[in-house]
Amino acid sequence: MSNDANSDISAVITLADHEQYFMEKAFFYARQALDKQEVPVGCIFVYENNILAVGRNEVNKTKNATRHAEMICIDEILKHCKENDLDFKKMISFVDVYVTVEPCIMCAAALFNLNIRSITFGCRNDRFGGSTVYDVSKVIKPTTVVKGGYRACEAMELLKDFYKGQNPNAPLPKVRIKKS
Amino acid sequence: MSSAKRVKLDVPEQEEQPFIPILANELLEDTPLTKVFVGKIQDSKSISEVIKSLNLLLPIPSLAHLKRINKQEVLLVSTSDLAKDKIYEYLETNGFNINLLYTDFREVEVAKIAPKTRLQYEKVQKLWPCNFHPDKYLEKLVTNTLFNSLEINVHKTYMSMAILVATEAKKLHITEYDSGVVVVDPKVNSVVALGYSESHHNPCKHPSMVAIDNVAKTQSGGAWKSYEPIPDSSNLNLNGCHPKLFKILLKKFPHINFGASKFQIDHEQKEPSDPYLCTGYYIYLTREPCIMCAMALIHSRVKRVFYGKSSDNGGLGTLYKIHVIKDLNHHYEVFRTLCENKCELVNEL
Repeated sequence: MSNDANSDISAVITLADHEQYFMEKAFFYARQALDKQEVPVGCIFVYENNILAVGRNEVNKTKNATRHAEMICIDEILKHCKENDLDFKKMISFVDVYVTVEPCIMCAAALFNLNIRSITFGCRNDRFGGSTVYDVSKVIKPTTVVKGGYRACEAMELLKDFYKGQNPNAPLPKVRIKKS
Repeated sequence: MSSAKRVKLDVPEQEEQPFIPILANELLEDTPLTKVFVGKIQDSKSISEVIKSLNLLLPIPSLAHLKRINKQEVLLVSTSDLAKDKIYEYLETNGFNINLLYTDFREVEVAKIAPKTRLQYEKVQKLWPCNFHPDKYLEKLVTNTLFNSLEINVHKTYMSMAILVATEAKKLHITEYDSGVVVVDPKVNSVVALGYSESHHNPCKHPSMVAIDNVAKTQSGGAWKSYEPIPDSSNLNLNGCHPKLFKILLKKFPHINFGASKFQIDHEQKEPSDPYLCTGYYIYLTREPCIMCAMALIHSRVKRVFYGKSSDNGGLGTLYKIHVIKDLNHHYEVFRTLCENKCELVNEL
């Protein structure tokens, strides 16, 4: 468990009004993911109080297990920077990430490597979490400030709803046929 | 069994082993030890009575991997549970016939947990007798005798293909970096997809990430459209291979199959053997993947990873061993290519 000075993921947190607004947006995309039979995680990237990218999991749609909401937002910001001839590296370091579930080890590493300014998440990720399962900040010394625990129960309930239903892309379980 | 005989059995011949398994530390380190108090049995005729009585009255569940007796000494209690001067009282109040033992108790070091490998077992066995059930597959991994010479040649071929991908992709200006990836389906012995760094376009497009997306393209998926795939000509799907690279590889490796097994888009017809992400696939990389990529390969359910050079930011041996995190729902095996002169392959990297 990370207990770094700049990271607090164990507490239940309260957010400022504008942050609550951003999290509400993230929840909107998480619910949208659930409707599309994707793992319900929603994410938004905010730059100077403007939403620059929105994303939800697209793993089943793309058949690519790395298409998490955060990775999709990174691609969106990149596109935005290319289209507007902006310095991606500089811009991304001022981005605040709002995501309904703690980023996984992969996404945490990606976000830390980009020097994202902050990550605010809903519930912890007990399966893949980049702090909870393995603390990525131990090996990639990030400048990113991480905080979590906002509307955690609600975010977790969404995940539970998904895992109650069947992942449409998972292979069928092998059925053993009894010899009569 | 004598140790000389065992060595003969385990290592059939001295073969070149250019692929070194990257294993969990708990398999490589010595078994952790703990301290216990033992007592000596006065009369050897009462050994079975003592053991029976101790197991019944004073079982030690946390040390179930240890034998209760060693010659004429018996294991009594963990030193962390009891002070030495309280042992006598402890035995007596629990109904044990104290007259069966001498009253001078001794502290000894024993294995804290069951040894996992033969090497660990042989060390702790010297301290105190211990149960050990060797895992044949694991023993092959820890002694690095898993692959026969035929398999080694197959892995070497795919690794040299990954090296060629690295050099050719750079020549073709597909990438600016020296790194190549080859994804193989060992079930049909065929190259499913290729990878290379595209991080000059996107900082997340590391070689593994590109390879994973190229695999997705063979399953009617994919998020990054970077080339026009080759139209299907055979019963295998070539969407995972960049056409320009494919042309070159086909010439240099005429005996290798290319393409992924066909993927059913219709979920109703889906067979359990249909490709799902990178399930069952082997991935050959010229460089150790970073933390992000190592986790991406976990998400993708890769079966084995072979890499050439270690990376400063590597997640499969250098900074950490992502593939041995117990809490994750999938684990793959990792092999590093030997960087000594023994394997000329890596010198080309």
